[in-house]
Amino acid sequence: MSPTGHTDAGTAGGAIPRLSMRGIGKAFPGVQALRNVSFNVARGEVHALIGENGAGKSSLLKVLSGVYRADAGDIRVDGKLVDAASPKAARMQGIALIHQELQQVPHLDVAQNMFLGMPLTHGGVFTDKTQMRARASTALASLDPSIDVTAPIRTLRVAQRQIVEIARALLSDARVIAMDEPTSSLTPREFERLTEVIATLAARGVGVIYVSHKLEEVYRVCTRATVLRDGALVGVVDLANTTEDMLVGMMVGRTIEARAHHGHAGTERVLEISGLGRGHAVRGVSFALHRGEVLGIAGLVGAGRTELVRLIAGVDRADSGTVSLHGRPIRSASPREAIGHGIALLPEERKRDGIVPLRSIVSNMALPAFQRWSRFGLVRTQALRQRVREMTERVGLRPPDIDRPIRLFSGGNQQKAILGRWLMADAGILMFDEPTRGIDVGAKADIYRLIEDLVQQGKSVIVVSSELPEIMRLSDRVLVMWRGEMAGILERADMNESAIMHLAVSGGRPQ
Amino acid sequence: MSGASDIAARSGRIRLKIGLRDMGTLLGLLLICVVFASLSDFFLTERNLVNILQQSSINACVAIGMTLVIISGGIDLSVGPTAALTAVVSASMIVGGYPVALAIVVALAIGMACGLGNGLLVAYGGLQPFIVTLGTLSLYRALALIYTGGNPILGVPSSFRVLFQTQVWIFPMPIVVVAVLGILAWVLLAKTPIGEYILAVGGNEEASRVSGVPIARTKISAYVISGGLAALGALILVARLGAAEPTLGNLWELEAIAASAIGGASLMGGKGSIVGTVLGAIVLGAMRNGLTLLNVQAFYQLLATGIIIIAAMLIDRLTRGRE
Repeated sequence: MSPTGHTDAGTAGGAIPRLSMRGIGKAFPGVQALRNVSFNVARGEVHALIGENGAGKSSLLKVLSGVYRADAGDIRVDGKLVDAASPKAARMQGIALIHQELQQVPHLDVAQNMFLGMPLTHGGVFTDKTQMRARASTALASLDPSIDVTAPIRTLRVAQRQIVEIARALLSDARVIAMDEPTSSLTPREFERLTEVIATLAARGVGVIYVSHKLEEVYRVCTRATVLRDGALVGVVDLANTTEDMLVGMMVGRTIEARAHHGHAGTERVLEISGLGRGHAVRGVSFALHRGEVLGIAGLVGAGRTELVRLIAGVDRADSGTVSLHGRPIRSASPREAIGHGIALLPEERKRDGIVPLRSIVSNMALPAFQRWSRFGLVRTQALRQRVREMTERVGLRPPDIDRPIRLFSGGNQQKAILGRWLMADAGILMFDEPTRGIDVGAKADIYRLIEDLVQQGKSVIVVSSELPEIMRLSDRVLVMWRGEMAGILERADMNESAIMHLAVSGGRPQ
Repeated sequence: MSGASDIAARSGRIRLKIGLRDMGTLLGLLLICVVFASLSDFFLTERNLVNILQQSSINACVAIGMTLVIISGGIDLSVGPTAALTAVVSASMIVGGYPVALAIVVALAIGMACGLGNGLLVAYGGLQPFIVTLGTLSLYRALALIYTGGNPILGVPSSFRVLFQTQVWIFPMPIVVVAVLGILAWVLLAKTPIGEYILAVGGNEEASRVSGVPIARTKISAYVISGGLAALGALILVARLGAAEPTLGNLWELEAIAASAIGGASLMGGKGSIVGTVLGAIVLGAMRNGLTLLNVQAFYQLLATGIIIIAAMLIDRLTRGRE
């Protein structure tokens, strides 16, 4: 592997870096997740890894920690080549990943969790609890001595469980510790505690990788940052002389693909949302959706975008706020009621929330409409099948075989079938959650075309998406969510990627 | 033009494929018949074949309801006690001089009420169907025992028994009733919204909910039908025996689950066949009948039943390929 042609991420003082990844490449069917990415972390350095959703951060971490096998490139720890063939192998060679969702066994105690998969034993038969607890205590002493190693892990708060994971990494003599969104469920005080722990790690010479969407945290914790975009390295910067705007620019700075946006938005307010909320996930969101409009909803993962559309669709129940349709307040206590009002959701998790895999296209598409297509309790099969055929033609289902179980279709065609379902049910408001996730390029263009057809016919559309180009291409306006709140709505004229990212990252608050 | 005919041919093939599983069950049944026919001259006589159908009719009746529940993603372990409760109540009414028609209506109402109890607990109580019906298995049995004080109700008059003893051509009434029921259940599953809902809810409950399927109503319907069919099974048995014991219906649930499974129902839900279930019940009936003709001890009959169930499931697994 030849070294990368990008900015050479050199190391302090020319010493051998703690971690060096060179020319990493990883492809999945249809997607190049990582392209010739190089990444270095010095001894005792806290290094940020940042980028938009889908930029390749997770893939890089997974390659590092042995979850994925890279197609190209090599990984070295202290100059020594690492063969990260499995998560366990990576761990044995000094690399530890602290997952966003902590991977612990709730009812086992702290010490047992720390030695999970590599227990200390007496002669290989009986577990040596005394020894495990003693060593667990020692490892925890410098991080958080208040944690009791005999307590079941489920009795600990998330922040403490995180520290247990870090201590576990130290037990296996980790020299590189990667933290994936470590603060996503921490309070500000717990975050302060974590920064102390990270400082302790750095003082010991551990190379720390800090992955986060929250740029203010990155500035607090890290000294340098590596920015990824579309699976490739954009650059490595010293945070001391880089502004947040410069970082955001590096994160989103792609050229916007040529496109023609034809607005069809009218002035008639079809749907009005006022003060809608549910717990902490969605708080006090208000907006109006017009006839023939595509409203984009942008924001970071976990900002409450999916939760918002689920509330409107009646899938989850709101605990505050009102939804009005054509000026009249409506109640949607269930999806069935929302569908009765013509409000439909095309969920992100198609397998889980969208399709009945064993059933045919006919059964899946007609699911909300069976009662309408029945007479004297019996389904009017011939007429129904005729209608399903028309709809599959309209959405361009391939193959056009309406009796084939839906699980045998590709993701893009499943999405088309679900769209056909709502066309049959005659929904007036369609909410797409990540409409093109996991869908190949051709079908993606079809979905965009279908969305444009819908608004041309006067239907109203909401598109939740993590892909800014998608939002930019489709939306007449874009609503940006930030930590469960509405950070703002941008009109098409003010819509650009850095404006959206700025709202998504900071909530529009002054820095 | 050619495109359209191509689609028609493909859809025709798919429909045939759906019937393939039922063909498999039928093949198994024929195989069992061939084996017993070669071992016993009496097995293939008209009288014995009608006998097999009659002996299978109660299980088929209960199993049709069970299949609907299983397809919806549930299970009904309480069918036996439901049958017992309806049997003792209706038998005591008939013996006590109430009109037979009223007793039948009350029996079916009690059965459906038992099913409604199960359905409400599953749909609104947030409990696992297995646990709910395990609980009502004891509960309904206890009600039957308390109602009778543990004693059988004897001397059911022939005015009631004759209802199920008449014949249509060569077929005794229970066979005819269950055949009609089978057709109705098939229509329900294949041709009505509620049938589509049962298949959808069992196949993916969350997707069905998001698509506006009334989840609670769908599940409750399946249990109510199951309870009603258990009651009908009880009536057939009371007519045959002329008595009702509070302990009747023991292990009916397992027989019914076995028939459903042999017939192709998946205990994961979302999949199953009425035709298959009826054939499955006949498979079990034919096994028992054949082994009895050959004077095989009851212990070995049980052994054979177990082997049949496991063999059927293995063949199902191996021929289905990966899914």
